[in-house]
Amino acid sequence: MSAYTVTATPQAEEAGAVALAVASLPATFGPAAEGREADVAVIAGEAGWTTEAARAVETGSRGILVVDPVPETTTQLAAAAEAAQAVVVLDLHWASNPALVGESGDPDARDAVRSALGTSSLMDSVATASPGTDPQRLLARHLAAVLAVSGQLHGVSVLRSGATGYTATGRLANGAPFTAQGVLTTARPAGVDIRLYTADGGVAVQVPDPDAAWPAEVRVTGAHGELLLPTLYESAHRCAWRRLKDHLGAGTQPDDLAGFARLTDLYATLAAT
Amino acid sequence: MSHIAAPAVRPLGVGILGAGPVTQAIHLPALARLRDILEVRHIMDVDPAVASSVASRVGSASSTSLEALLADPAVDIVAVCSPHQFHADQVIAACRAGKKAVLCEKPFAMNGEEAARIADASAATGVPILVGAMHTFDPGWLAAEQHWGDLPEQVHTIRSSIVLPPNARFEDFATEIITRPAPAKPDYSDIEVIKAMMQGGIMGLAIHDLPLVRRFTPDFGAVEVLQARHVRPFGYAVSLRTPTRVIELRAVMNSTWKPEWTFEAIGDDSALRIDFTPSYVQAGSAVATFSRGGETTTFGPYGHNGYEGEWRELAELASGGRRAPSAQALIDDLTFALAISEATVQNVAAGHLADTEKAGATA
Repeated sequence: MSAYTVTATPQAEEAGAVALAVASLPATFGPAAEGREADVAVIAGEAGWTTEAARAVETGSRGILVVDPVPETTTQLAAAAEAAQAVVVLDLHWASNPALVGESGDPDARDAVRSALGTSSLMDSVATASPGTDPQRLLARHLAAVLAVSGQLHGVSVLRSGATGYTATGRLANGAPFTAQGVLTTARPAGVDIRLYTADGGVAVQVPDPDAAWPAEVRVTGAHGELLLPTLYESAHRCAWRRLKDHLGAGTQPDDLAGFARLTDLYATLAAT
Repeated sequence: MSHIAAPAVRPLGVGILGAGPVTQAIHLPALARLRDILEVRHIMDVDPAVASSVASRVGSASSTSLEALLADPAVDIVAVCSPHQFHADQVIAACRAGKKAVLCEKPFAMNGEEAARIADASAATGVPILVGAMHTFDPGWLAAEQHWGDLPEQVHTIRSSIVLPPNARFEDFATEIITRPAPAKPDYSDIEVIKAMMQGGIMGLAIHDLPLVRRFTPDFGAVEVLQARHVRPFGYAVSLRTPTRVIELRAVMNSTWKPEWTFEAIGDDSALRIDFTPSYVQAGSAVATFSRGGETTTFGPYGHNGYEGEWRELAELASGGRRAPSAQALIDDLTFALAISEATVQNVAAGHLADTEKAGATA
């Protein structure tokens, strides 16, 4: 018997490979019986997802998992979740990959990148998705991944955007250039590649799509040589579910919505440019 | 001791103008691998000590003047490896001296007028000119060219990314350098310094791959700069666009030990990626990888790099075994590079001005 029952909208089920993720945590999660209220609601992160999530909080869901959310103001949802002590976890397409932000002191991409930012000279990143992908959606996924590891970006603007991809530009905290390119093709592996170059090397982060448990690769290059951080064969989807489990079990609130507000704020400035 | 057989045919004689690190660490080692067809017979440098020292390494004559080298009847092929501003006049002089072929290090001219004068001199004298864009002679690139089919028409995005340590790291793996320019300490607050570095970045570094970019950019004459950012200590982040192509150029020369030099041409469902070996070392050719429909096909690595490739081609040109490259292609490559360089410098200057104004407004 699972501890928490789960229900997902068809769109969320497909976007988040929910059945697979739930099946990989069988002692914790299981499907709700038809017609019964579920403990956990899974919703797709299309426009209006914050309203839908708030509704799930109101109807008594203890946990809400949002798959691939688009930038949207989360203030009201955060307040509702806190008042109801509901746990809202965001399953971000790339940013939820466990290699980006680790747990309990494990080495991760965020530490590697942030410890190198002081001597950074360029952050260059390329996101790849198949043709037909909405470039705005791709850019949101892309920036979410970059923000997860980099901290603040400044002066970000979109130089071009169209059917083949986009180019965005900005600055790191020390003034070094930041570039983000989106490429729509099936000829490159789907994923995001973030390169930070420093005085004597840098950090390379390659994050795959979450539809399989292939690991992200984080490589730190310096005078010591090159270090590959331990690989984690867990998809972004499962990592999000595992965090949901942890918070439900501990009765704690994740900081997903607060962190996502940084992306929403950045996105708002892009829309204004 | 092994017996080295004398070549059946006397090798062609090579004369080199300029004996700096590129000559010492790139051309002489490449030529040492081609002793059956090419022989260094004359080294010229304005510094007599450098000229004679480098010449003594290869057993050639030395001099300090262009005229002396061109007057040397043992020289069949002239390689112009002098500073950029001398290229055009020296190439033209070599053509008029009746040599069999001329290699000019990139860029072969600094403006369109110089390029036209060179093309005229080559046409009038019949002396073939080859520009030392070594990647276009790399066997990995040539294999890609043979197999890319209609990819150049399918491509919508092109990326060139160059990450290199300072040249000295690889020069020291290739030879024992006699002279090396003193490292500069640039004043990054001076926009004129930044402009010069951006121009140097495009005409000295990006130019290695711009002929490759142009092969995938049919509307190269309509290139527009979206952004040009200087990368410290030396490098650039440049975004370009034509009506049909997106071109992203990145370069970082820092103190890393790890070189990465990639070129990508990407379409909706097919792409070419080329991983080049670093300059200076004899590390074989690039590896070309095609990706199509979930399958990849790889060509290379082959046993020699583009520098050796260009010398092989020069020998064939000089011996009449191959037609000279199209002068128009060389001019198009140059004008493409110059257009990007000029627009890049303007863009970085405009960005600097905007930043200065913003800083003033918020101070």
